[in-house]
Amino acid sequence: MGFLDSILGKTKLPEAKTDKLFAISTAAVTLEANLGLKPDGAAAVCIKPMESSKYDAARAEIEDLLKLGIKETGTQYSIQKDEYNYIWVVLKDPDFDDLVTNIQMVCQILMEQGFGTQLLAAVYRFRGEAAVYWIYNFKLGSYYPFVPRGTQRDTSQEFRLRSLMEKELPVEKDETKWYPMWGMPL
Amino acid sequence: MFLTMFLLAVVYLAFLAVLLALHTSQVVIILFIGGFMFLQYFYSDKMILASMGGRIVSEDEAPELHQMISRLCAIANLPMPKIAIVKTSMPNAFATGRNQKHAVVAVTTGIMQQLNRSELEAVLAHELTHVKNKDMMVMTIATFLASVAQLFVQWLPFMGGGSSRDRDSGNFIILFLVSLAVWIVSFFLIRALSRYREFAADRGSAIITGQPSNLASALMKISGFRVPTQDLRKVEGPVSALFIVPAISGSSIMNLFSTHPTTEARIAALQKIEQELEAA
Repeated sequence: MGFLDSILGKTKLPEAKTDKLFAISTAAVTLEANLGLKPDGAAAVCIKPMESSKYDAARAEIEDLLKLGIKETGTQYSIQKDEYNYIWVVLKDPDFDDLVTNIQMVCQILMEQGFGTQLLAAVYRFRGEAAVYWIYNFKLGSYYPFVPRGTQRDTSQEFRLRSLMEKELPVEKDETKWYPMWGMPL
Repeated sequence: MFLTMFLLAVVYLAFLAVLLALHTSQVVIILFIGGFMFLQYFYSDKMILASMGGRIVSEDEAPELHQMISRLCAIANLPMPKIAIVKTSMPNAFATGRNQKHAVVAVTTGIMQQLNRSELEAVLAHELTHVKNKDMMVMTIATFLASVAQLFVQWLPFMGGGSSRDRDSGNFIILFLVSLAVWIVSFFLIRALSRYREFAADRGSAIITGQPSNLASALMKISGFRVPTQDLRKVEGPVSALFIVPAISGSSIMNLFSTHPTTEARIAALQKIEQELEAA
């Protein structure tokens, strides 16, 4: 947002930063080798709600594009709405590289269709002793860990993940921005 | 840390040299303060506990706390300290006592409620490292002459020197100025030293528990900065722009005045230790 825009109160949402989204691809190798965290075959993109009139059109559009794009890799997908009315594009594929490629493609399509400002987060699920999520925040352009334990989060484990992964993954430095996402559909 | 200790020693030696050169009667005051500080050091455990309202608890009263500390002591090769609990909701913990045999480790009820088991263990390991590093003794020695200088600065104008001879020779003014300089310089050096000892205790905790991230997590909770629990989708409302303003953090000048390093600096240091431990 430019200085003038902010003075005049012309709020514009920032465009999604997707340039570092792909970093999870190489980080997954280290996560498995050093920390015993395996990709759990699921990932998702979370999109901010829009006016309901637009929603149906958007959903149909996303679905069409997914049908075309995902056919080759055999990735399963579903589109869901959550309790906050956010839209989730959930992908399931045992092959992690296919998962990353398809998440990347979904984001690409959404941005091309003008939903760039609506992209909220991409989430990858990993499996260790408990489920570990890496959340990519499109506004921050960085990843952060989320380890839910019931209704609490395991911050010790999250700090450990940051310490050990910050060289390979663009981990958000300001931990007060590590907002969790409870009850994700993946 | 070595440089800080060295500089402090230089300042103090210079101060003593000036005092001796002036042959002032203030030497008596030094002996007096020395005696007072020795008493304070000797009875530090009882005095500090009394001032904080802490109560020594037996093994029956707090079995879990005793087990936790005895296990940490076994790892750190320390004799079992006395354990005290302070009834306050403020999350805090401290160690006191003149040596390892007379050490007291105290925790508040607030910290026991706010931290989970592994975080509390990390905090206790931090306090036990203070005991192991003899920080009580180090800091008492470090602050001794600074206290003398401070007292001179505050009382010399009223005392008017020890005798009329002192006043006539101008020793009085020199002593005042030297004391002022010693006080100011040692003030910053002592604080720097204290911060180093805190980092050292953090490192000790990381090594004793083997999990630096537990202490990092505990520090975040104690400092009131928290990893958020509020959902991202709730935060991302129309007012989300307000959240972009970064939390105000102290400037580096303010850091010079503090006895503890900033939480950010401590967490960053712990992060490095985690990486070292992993690489080893």
